[in-house]
Amino acid sequence: MISDVRKLVAKVAERFKGRFYGRTFRCPVCHLELAMVDADGNGLMVCPLCGVVLDVEEVYGHAVPVVLEVELYRPQPKMRIHPLATHVPIGLFPFAVLGVGLLLVASVLAPLLPGLAPLLAKAPVVASATLVMLVLSVGLSVVTLGSGLWDWNHRYRRRPYRQIRLKIVFSVLFLVLGAVAIALHASGAVFAASTGLVDLASPLAVILAAAELVTLIAGMVVISTLGHVGGSLVFGR
Amino acid sequence: MMDFSLSHDQQEQVEKARAFTKEWIAPKAAEYDRTGEFPLDICREAFKQGLMNPHVPAEYGGTPHTVLDHCLVLEELATGCSGIATAIDANGLSQYPVILAGTDDQKRRFLGPMTESLKFSAYAVTEPEAGSDVSRVKTTAARVGNDYVLNGIKWWITNGSVADWYFVLTRADEKPTAFIVPADSPGIIRGPKEINLGQHASNTVRVTFEDVKVSADNRLGEEGDGFQIAMKTFDHTRPGVASGANGITKAALNIALSYAKRRRTFDKKLISNQGISFKLAEMVTRLDAAKYLTYKAAWLFDRGDDNAREAAEAKWFAADVAMQAAIECAQVLGGYGFTTEMPAEKLIRDAKIYQIYEGATEIQKMIIVGKLMRIKEVH
Repeated sequence: MISDVRKLVAKVAERFKGRFYGRTFRCPVCHLELAMVDADGNGLMVCPLCGVVLDVEEVYGHAVPVVLEVELYRPQPKMRIHPLATHVPIGLFPFAVLGVGLLLVASVLAPLLPGLAPLLAKAPVVASATLVMLVLSVGLSVVTLGSGLWDWNHRYRRRPYRQIRLKIVFSVLFLVLGAVAIALHASGAVFAASTGLVDLASPLAVILAAAELVTLIAGMVVISTLGHVGGSLVFGR
Repeated sequence: MMDFSLSHDQQEQVEKARAFTKEWIAPKAAEYDRTGEFPLDICREAFKQGLMNPHVPAEYGGTPHTVLDHCLVLEELATGCSGIATAIDANGLSQYPVILAGTDDQKRRFLGPMTESLKFSAYAVTEPEAGSDVSRVKTTAARVGNDYVLNGIKWWITNGSVADWYFVLTRADEKPTAFIVPADSPGIIRGPKEINLGQHASNTVRVTFEDVKVSADNRLGEEGDGFQIAMKTFDHTRPGVASGANGITKAALNIALSYAKRRRTFDKKLISNQGISFKLAEMVTRLDAAKYLTYKAAWLFDRGDDNAREAAEAKWFAADVAMQAAIECAQVLGGYGFTTEMPAEKLIRDAKIYQIYEGATEIQKMIIVGKLMRIKEVH
């Protein structure tokens, strides 16, 4: 069962990657997967991870990269903000999703299990904490995006890399999804300020709760992808 | 008068197969090699583009190609990945015995459906104790009324897991007898995929027959005809196998050439070093020789002439040339030829099987000598 889900996820990810990256090959030195379209008109590109200068040519459909040179000098600022900043949104967002998940489960269980009432009295605190984590996560992702763009300008010399393009697009998407989730959560229309739970008798509250959950799950997919792609740019395969 | 040029139709077929190879096979070759999955999506597309089942006669829904045409196409497909090319082409090996010895009803039942939708078939002859020596097969077919009951183990069966039917060589009353056995017959047990040295995309499995009931209507020819049918098939398919090997040689040559023209060493292009350039000259010459042997064997078959010797020559020579070319390709690429990120090492692993399957190199030489013994002079 789990392996089937994994296979399905891998297939979807592979299809998405195929669409976004096009034809790919692996750097023969650091094994980072690179997009053929990122090579310039002469088939040249610099591997963003290991810095080798590659001349890539397609031979009978096989990608044949040749290492021509190594770019030894790579700008390495003493304080690189992006790798540090990126861990804050990635670290906080899953806890925000967990908070919302717990509140939704509690909302369903509350009428069924009256004995839980003392525990559920703390729901408003969980709702507030979740909001704080959401705001911090999404707010600091602005810093992550900004520092990432700075890195792209300096460390990667603004070279076109599909990975970086994907990171920029997904970062903006994450900001949008995060803003929607914050707006829904902070509005009080999903989780009532007094109880911290969803009023299941209100169809609007249920619909908005579902919308917040979907937004957060989408945000998780986006931020996981960002983390995975970013990690590959640092650690390679 | 000799003419080495391809006809307009053949040129079109080659270009179509080449485009398919570049778009569908080569880009996915490394992935299928890594995972060992069966390339169903590529087979589906190959079927859609009419690149599968080229042997099925027109009266059973096929668009038959000559063996030479088939060799030209297969050479292109194998240049992308010989494992995937094998998955696409393996139907032919089991279809040909039916074409050769099947009744009209058998052809209608088993060949016709293969032209309507994507289906696979497999040639189940080899057994654990009977490889090159096919006459040692031990699978039995016991006559029970109007049926036969099959018992035995078939080994290294290409497309064995995905086949809809099998061509099976058995012993019926000690006489070699061939059957077409639907894969959904009760008592057929398909083993796990074998993890081989190369051609990982090709599906090779053990198939066990435990009291498998087969109607006598599915017997090919008469009892005792099985060995002849199984062997005669190779005259048809060996040029194709040689073409697969030629595909590997072509890939090795092109990769080595591309690399040598761009890689710099000692302040000059790699290809400017005589030690490297001579390797390339030898590779292309051997490829040409292997291709001409292959094409001649196919051409003889298409003319209706006996091509057993030429088919054996082509299969042996092309296999050895492919093995050598793959090793030389890795040598030209240096350390990069040894890494799994570059295509050279896969070519070495893939090439080896051509010296073994469908009659090992030594068997091909036995066939050649067998033919020589029957003639006074070679002209």
